[in-house]
Amino acid sequence: MTVLAVDDLFRSFGGIRAVDGVSLDIEQAEIVGIIGPNGSGKSTLFNLLTGALKADAGTISLFGRNITRLAPYRIARAGLGRTFQIPALFVNMTVRENLWTAAVQFDWDNARADADAVLERLELTHVAEDLASSLSGGQQRLLEMGRVLMQKPKVALLDEVAAGVHPRLRQIMLDAIRTMRDAGTTFLVIEHDMELAQDICDRIIVMDAGKIVAQGSFEEISHDPHVMEAYLGVSAE
Amino acid sequence: MSKPASGGNAIVNLGVLVLVVAVLFLLPMMTTPYYVRVATGVAMWAGLALSWNVICGYAGYISFGHVAFFGIGAYTTAILMQPQHDWNFWATLPVAAVIAGAVAALVGWPALRLKGAYFAIATWALAEAVRELATILDFTGGSRGLTTPIHLDDNFFYYTMLATAAIAFAVCYLLLERSRFGFRVKAVRDNEVAARAQGINTTLVKIAAFVLSAMIPAVLGGINAYWITFINPESVLNTIITDQLVVMVLVGGLGHAWGPALGATVLYVFDEQLRVSYGETTAYIIIVGALVMAVVLFLPDGLVSVGRRVRRMRLVRQLLNRARDDVVPRRTDSETEEARR
Repeated sequence: MTVLAVDDLFRSFGGIRAVDGVSLDIEQAEIVGIIGPNGSGKSTLFNLLTGALKADAGTISLFGRNITRLAPYRIARAGLGRTFQIPALFVNMTVRENLWTAAVQFDWDNARADADAVLERLELTHVAEDLASSLSGGQQRLLEMGRVLMQKPKVALLDEVAAGVHPRLRQIMLDAIRTMRDAGTTFLVIEHDMELAQDICDRIIVMDAGKIVAQGSFEEISHDPHVMEAYLGVSAE
Repeated sequence: MSKPASGGNAIVNLGVLVLVVAVLFLLPMMTTPYYVRVATGVAMWAGLALSWNVICGYAGYISFGHVAFFGIGAYTTAILMQPQHDWNFWATLPVAAVIAGAVAALVGWPALRLKGAYFAIATWALAEAVRELATILDFTGGSRGLTTPIHLDDNFFYYTMLATAAIAFAVCYLLLERSRFGFRVKAVRDNEVAARAQGINTTLVKIAAFVLSAMIPAVLGGINAYWITFINPESVLNTIITDQLVVMVLVGGLGHAWGPALGATVLYVFDEQLRVSYGETTAYIIIVGALVMAVVLFLPDGLVSVGRRVRRMRLVRQLLNRARDDVVPRRTDSETEEARR
């Protein structure tokens, strides 16, 4: 079942086409990785999917519903959650309050118990009453992941969620993603860490200059001449 | 479902609130009419500072036009109590609140899309526009102003102002520290993009916070108009009112439940005492200015942070003592005795 469908999406900034005719279909409970060099349009695509940016042309459908022109909060309520490339936390709130706030539009009645469980799962209990601003970079990414867990979205977009996270905590994060996937959540993951992409993704989409240049399993794309040229910077020959 | 939030220990807060209310309730029986009038002023300014704290401390938007809502409330009550309308005083207060709330919603809809200084300028322009309107319109009495019926009962105004400030505090505390709405407002303050990604309709939340922050000064303005029996644009739409309440919030503690009331109490009482000591000169402003500068420099989180700072200093002292003991082990009794010899 296709949960997220993107059809011929365009977005330009001045003369630069950041997203240039992207089309993709994501199936339920799939973990799809998006890779590509810096400036290839990955984060812009995320911003278009979540409504933070408006598309110049094209359509985005979530469970068959056209969400292209919806406000970001309506898209979130429709079941699309996200993390940010630079963690976007509520810095004057404690870690626990950040998690509660993530549930404020969703499962509020169980927020207290859910937050306790998430804190324990992500090993953040010892900093639960600390301000989010006082966390280390890796802990901030964990907290962003925690907010996704609290939000319980149908589709989660993770933007370099494991960057800078301690290997042991990264494993905890990956386990959380797999558990959510097993429960039916679909993931779209921007990742620069090839090992992690290979480890967790069912399918990889490669972007370059705003276009999708290749997609398939990790083995398939790693031998794709476009990928080797565009992403790895070496010629296939 | 209620949640504990950043307002501190709930039982301590409640205990302090009960104690303060009890003392304030008994005040007219324990003191002179002068101090009752001072306490009435404190209650009014505490409520005003509280209302500004809602939009700035909690929602993160600086309003330099809050006096507009105070003036709208004062004029609403004064106009409706004119002989040709002859409204009951109590009936004018909800009307004042509704009108101020409606103006806040109308202005907030476009203005709350502006950020930082732009919103501050927009609210400042609102206050100027309201002042100009009050000066040129006939039904506001123009620059001559309006009088209200005389009611010579200091205790009546004291209890009315106190009850209004207390109700405003309770409503704000429940909404902002103990409910979902409070989490939404604080999320908008901290990171609007992230708040939207959590499904929060940030525009609606900001407008709701602005409306709440506008209704409180409107009611206080209405009571003030009846209390002082005469209003004109200079007395209830003067920008110095906004300036004063901003300073009170900053001195007390921005974004803290108790901060505005504390700042209003300290500054208003201090101001009154200086006025009594030095008379109606402007010299006392220098002393107030020095006090404000001292608080901003040494207590950037306001007077509410004094306790926390003292605790932190005690902790630092303990840690330093411990570190010194680790570096220089304490002498045993025999070593001390030997050194003395």
